[in-house]
Amino acid sequence: MIRLAIRNLFQNRTRLIISVGGVALALMLILSLDGIVRWIQTRVAAYIDASEADIWVAQAGVRNMHMASSSLSSERALEVGRVEGVDSVTPILYLTNVVVAGEERTISYIIGLPEEAQAGRPWIVSAGRGDPRPGGAVIDQGIAEASGIGLGDRVELLGADFEVVGLSGGTTSLTNSIAFISSEDFARLRASPDTVSFLLVRVEASAPPDKIARLIEDQVEGVTAQTREQFSAQERKVVRDMSTDLVTIMNSVGFLIGLAVMGLTVYTATLSRRAEYGVLKALGARNRDLYLSVGVQALASVVLGLAAGLAFTLLLAGIVPRIVSNLGLEVSLESLGKVATASLIFASTAALLPIRQIRGLDPAVVFRGK
Amino acid sequence: MLVSDLSKRFGSGPTEVTAVRGVSMDIDPGEVVLIMGPSGSGKTTLLMMLGALLKPTEGTIRLNGQVISELSEGKLPMVRLHQFGFIFQDFNLLSALTALENVALVASLSGRKNGEASRKAQELLSQLGLQERLHFLPEKLSGGEKQRVAIARALVNDPAILFADEPTANLDSKIGHEIMRLLRSIAKEQGRSVVIVSHDQRIKDIADRVLWLEDGQFKDMIRLATDPVCGMSVEQDEAAHRLDYRGERYYFCARGCLEEFAATPERFTAGNERIGLTRSLPDL
Repeated sequence: MIRLAIRNLFQNRTRLIISVGGVALALMLILSLDGIVRWIQTRVAAYIDASEADIWVAQAGVRNMHMASSSLSSERALEVGRVEGVDSVTPILYLTNVVVAGEERTISYIIGLPEEAQAGRPWIVSAGRGDPRPGGAVIDQGIAEASGIGLGDRVELLGADFEVVGLSGGTTSLTNSIAFISSEDFARLRASPDTVSFLLVRVEASAPPDKIARLIEDQVEGVTAQTREQFSAQERKVVRDMSTDLVTIMNSVGFLIGLAVMGLTVYTATLSRRAEYGVLKALGARNRDLYLSVGVQALASVVLGLAAGLAFTLLLAGIVPRIVSNLGLEVSLESLGKVATASLIFASTAALLPIRQIRGLDPAVVFRGK
Repeated sequence: MLVSDLSKRFGSGPTEVTAVRGVSMDIDPGEVVLIMGPSGSGKTTLLMMLGALLKPTEGTIRLNGQVISELSEGKLPMVRLHQFGFIFQDFNLLSALTALENVALVASLSGRKNGEASRKAQELLSQLGLQERLHFLPEKLSGGEKQRVAIARALVNDPAILFADEPTANLDSKIGHEIMRLLRSIAKEQGRSVVIVSHDQRIKDIADRVLWLEDGQFKDMIRLATDPVCGMSVEQDEAAHRLDYRGERYYFCARGCLEEFAATPERFTAGNERIGLTRSLPDL
């Protein structure tokens, strides 16, 4: 019966293409959307992940960067520096603002970096230098390319002109980019010289970051200290929470499309083979033999659809970043698990639909088309 | 197979239609029974009941002592699979499978392992002269070849009875005749009963018995015999000549055949069966 199912599946190429293509498109929709959200999460947290800080210290109650504001007095940096196990403290300034490069305006995280920063510097520098001295700015390479500017050109940040002294990589996402200026310029433009946004702490080699984070919270008043991993997870969670509804809606759409395509094709395939199933029943096949055939057909369609959907998505993941600099897809095992589960639901639901049809099929139909 | 007072009614009340009424018959091993009758006479309904495809309203069907007409729906597929073989007017081969796979599939449904099913299918198809067509899809086969594949499929589980519904209807005269001879050979050499429903008068030539069904009941029964000398079918009741020899009655189409038989009866009876003639599988 398995051979019959596979042969039936491949005999009608048009139906096979519709069935597999429909499932592939539906799964690609789910996979791509997941991939985009995951990519955004990674990019949003990229600065934190690549900061080389073991601990992020923020104003009490602040647990992430995106759409948050943190303000700490400069004294806190000194206090944190005195906690046992702390190796270095890099105070950074942070604000969400707009980078104006030529005609392009891009929402960006503006990071104010001190000279000789031990952490929080651009982690990929594709041109120029990574430490923005006063008057200089390091902006994302993709933004620069899109705006047609390069090293030595002028950009506007926080309402002031800066010279582009460096181009960074991996610092853009669908929603924003990251630009670096000196802490000195940042503080001057924000007119608050005695405050910083976050303290990036590096611990001594033997010190466990989570333990030191607890010590910092115990010994320094008005701060929240989290390990880099905790801080990054919080940042991803914000993006995930913001996109959950959208992802759920789009996933549901993809799921329903896939289910409808599979259900319809398996049902019509069974209907078109009604006479042959009648022959098999007349010859002595039991209903369960026929269910097996339909089930295998549905499962094979879905497996092919899943493979095609994954291939399309990986192709998309390769093409999209070349076309759109601030967009990418990250296909994860978790996403694959999700679509595999969806696929199994497609297959089993689609296979269930014709059961009634098969069960009620009178084997006598084989006699002269009755 | 013993059939007693078999009836089938469809619908109820004023719309009730009786398709088969009070039919009784018996089918012996190795016998070829032809059921004829006008359209709508109940032939197909009767065939479906005999083949355990349709439950009778009344009456019983016994096969080797087992009352199959009273078996539950769940048990009927097994009876059909192991006891019966079906041959259809439209061949009804599965279009996605090759000739070999069509036959092997039915063997595997009965529980045979794939390799064994395939070997059995190949053996049968080769016996029927289809060794060169094993891997052909039905669409690539001629009508006669398709019907031979269908016959192989019907035989693959060694059934006691073959049911054939208009087996020659879609075949030209020559091929139809070859298929008829093949069915007769199967009956006589393998001891299987063959029940044929057909309008084709030519099938009378190979039948041991012709039953005429009209308005759902047998009107007349024609018992046929084969002239042991010339091989022609002869209606027993209408035979021009008959002769009893060693406890068997022989029927002849003409005096010449009777005289030839009477001169050297051993020549015509040695090894022959009840009706006086055993034919080998035709070379199709």
